Amino acid sequence: MLNVDLIEKMGNIVGTENISVASCELYCYSSDASQIRGMPEVVIKPRTTAQVSDIVRLAYEHNIPVTARGAGTGLSGGCVPLEGGIVLDMSGMNRIVEFDLDNLQVIVEPGIVQEKLNKALEPYGFFFPPDPGSSAMCTIGGLIANNGSGMRSVKYGTTRSYVLGLEIVMADGKIIKTGSKTMKTVAGYSLTDLFVGSEGTLGIITQAIIKVRALPKERSVIFASFKTPELAGKAVVKVLSSGIVPSACEILDSNIIRALNNYDPKLNLPQAGAILLFEVDGSEAEVKEGINLIVKACEDLASAIRTASDKKERDEIWAARRLAGAAISRLDPVRTRVYVGEDVGVPIKEIPKMLHKVDEISKEFDLPIMTYGHIGDGNLHTGMCIDMLSDEDWMKLNAAADKIHRTAIELGGTVTAEHGVGSARSEYMRLELGSALDVMITIKKALDPKGILNPGKMGV
Amino acid sequence: MEKDLRSILKCVRCGTCRSVCPVFEEAGWESASSRGRMLIALGIHNGLEVDENVLNSLNMCTTCGLCEQMCPSGASPVQVVQDTRRKLMLKGRMTDAQLVLRDETTSKGNPLGETQYRHSWLGDIADIKKHAPYVFFVGCLGSYRYPELTRRTFDLLKKFDVTLIPEEVCCGSPLLRTGSDPDSLVSKNMEQIKKIGAHTIITGCAGCYTTLKNDYPGDLKVIHVSEFLAERLPEMDLKHLDLKVTYHDPCHLGRCNGVFDAPRKIITSICELKEMKSHHEQSRCCGAGGGVLKGYPDLSMALSKKRLEEIPEGVDYLVTSCPLCRTNLQRGGPKVEVIDILDLLKMAMK
Repeated sequence: MLNVDLIEKMGNIVGTENISVASCELYCYSSDASQIRGMPEVVIKPRTTAQVSDIVRLAYEHNIPVTARGAGTGLSGGCVPLEGGIVLDMSGMNRIVEFDLDNLQVIVEPGIVQEKLNKALEPYGFFFPPDPGSSAMCTIGGLIANNGSGMRSVKYGTTRSYVLGLEIVMADGKIIKTGSKTMKTVAGYSLTDLFVGSEGTLGIITQAIIKVRALPKERSVIFASFKTPELAGKAVVKVLSSGIVPSACEILDSNIIRALNNYDPKLNLPQAGAILLFEVDGSEAEVKEGINLIVKACEDLASAIRTASDKKERDEIWAARRLAGAAISRLDPVRTRVYVGEDVGVPIKEIPKMLHKVDEISKEFDLPIMTYGHIGDGNLHTGMCIDMLSDEDWMKLNAAADKIHRTAIELGGTVTAEHGVGSARSEYMRLELGSALDVMITIKKALDPKGILNPGKMGV
Repeated sequence: MEKDLRSILKCVRCGTCRSVCPVFEEAGWESASSRGRMLIALGIHNGLEVDENVLNSLNMCTTCGLCEQMCPSGASPVQVVQDTRRKLMLKGRMTDAQLVLRDETTSKGNPLGETQYRHSWLGDIADIKKHAPYVFFVGCLGSYRYPELTRRTFDLLKKFDVTLIPEEVCCGSPLLRTGSDPDSLVSKNMEQIKKIGAHTIITGCAGCYTTLKNDYPGDLKVIHVSEFLAERLPEMDLKHLDLKVTYHDPCHLGRCNGVFDAPRKIITSICELKEMKSHHEQSRCCGAGGGVLKGYPDLSMALSKKRLEEIPEGVDYLVTSCPLCRTNLQRGGPKVEVIDILDLLKMAMK
């Protein structure tokens, strides 16, 4: 329990303007975009690694929980302080510390927003590829903590592939550096990999060495329409086995298409059973070849195929796609999108089966389930909207989400491909990970013996 | 009650508004973002204690509507903020600035504390015709802070069968935005408009425009003076000016009501237009609206300065079509003079 003396000490560390115990501020930091809730006792906005270290050391001495938070855009309750204590709002530590582009890297603080980093890199001809739907607001620290990814992960992989090293404040306040500025290193255990995706349960990220890529010379987007999502799923399997790796491969079902057309009528997407959006990037020749291969792989299954006419159309469709998750709330004035059971991943071959199962679950619970997501890497987002004032809707929603999670695991998949475990999915960790969860628990105990770092998350 | 709660629950807390809310950009705390305000509105519904911090969070919103424009889930944070301010006002919970604004505006008919006759700028009272198809709604800033501009505007308008509301009072916008009851002002203006028999109200202020159009009863046609004059340019015998200007879209005229083309039609018929960094629906707020200039002048000034950073290089003037935006942008210390679109029109008259 925090007392006035401790709050004062914390205020002395970060400055009184960077600390708040106002009840409305605490309320605002009690949730992310998931349904998980937990009230902090204090919110602190550190500006330096030293401040983070001092705060965490104080918390360690007094057994106070510490939960790090980026932009609070998460969908698993990862930044929600389940056991109260301190929320460290890292969004103020948002500097690009070093542009080291000759070494294909930048050193950043965790609070920098993904889109702002990419805007800063663009003039130099580089980019940081992981691009979640929340790229306009999510922070790099949040992306690292959750190993987030996005639409281009089918070609470029997840955030993990771009983290060369980290500066971490450990549970007792010590500061360590992991990894290296080199493109590869095998010196010791890969602690960088351990901290990526650890959701703030093992340490607080205060700096990161990020690998960047050269921007591709060309990009092209193909829209392929299908009568059913299952047909689209079959087309994806065919495309991916034809030798082309698209830079994005997204599915939108008929409800999502309707929602996006509602959000931005200029899009005028064809009202098909499902649309696949493929993006191909690279040199002019590579893009041309990629388009030909995709068209060839889809032509027997698709009802229509066309390429985006220009950059403007391409940018508009991606901008709208990024917001698809929330846009489905627009379909019904009394229903709101609720993020549960929304992030399963299955092996690529199982995509058509998973889509079919989702359809069955939707019918079983009489609950419309809209499907979209990064189908190219087997990651499906299942969107459900409910009347939030209806207890019956909540029961249906939670039951459907549970079944979606279990189905994904039965198909050899995962309950979360990119959004994180947090506390929203921690109950499935034993089922999905088996005895590997015990190893995770051992690691957690070793690095955070007092259990002060983001307690109650990830099943550890 | 249920309708209000549903409106709050439309927010999925995705945080898209964090990337666009100018107030959040300045303050950095979650309670200063639209998402935070939606949460606080929900909190109040769930019993969150209303203290000074709650009032500040709600009242720091300029009601610029950029969050609403960008909101993927179709939530209406501006309406939620205004409704929550109203509910709290009814319970006697308000900031000092809200209180002053309410009392001044209700007692004096304007939020500026002015007591002299509103149409003192008018040379000849006989110009106020008893009956006319068009009424020019001057607004408080036009009446008391920009009398010369108002006189020139009316001189132009009266040729087109336009009259004034003899006992015009504030449209009620400052009260509506900050949670007070504008009914007595609305009634006083409406009674006179009916007597005049006008079918169309013309105004030069974005705040008056949105209030008259969206908050007044009946089916009044409301147009901005730039819309009225953009249709009559051939009759005005204008000369081309060797100038380059930029244009600030007032939030309550552009984003909230879709008036983008008419001011641009006037500008481009006179001189060259170079757009600001953000414009049309994405335009940044000047920082004055929603009672923020009155209640949080430092914040308002900071927002103004941010908007002024978006002025493109090589322009001679920053043109706008709202006296409140003009006032606040001028406060921010612009590198070029801020003028009203009617000032530009005057320069082009032969």
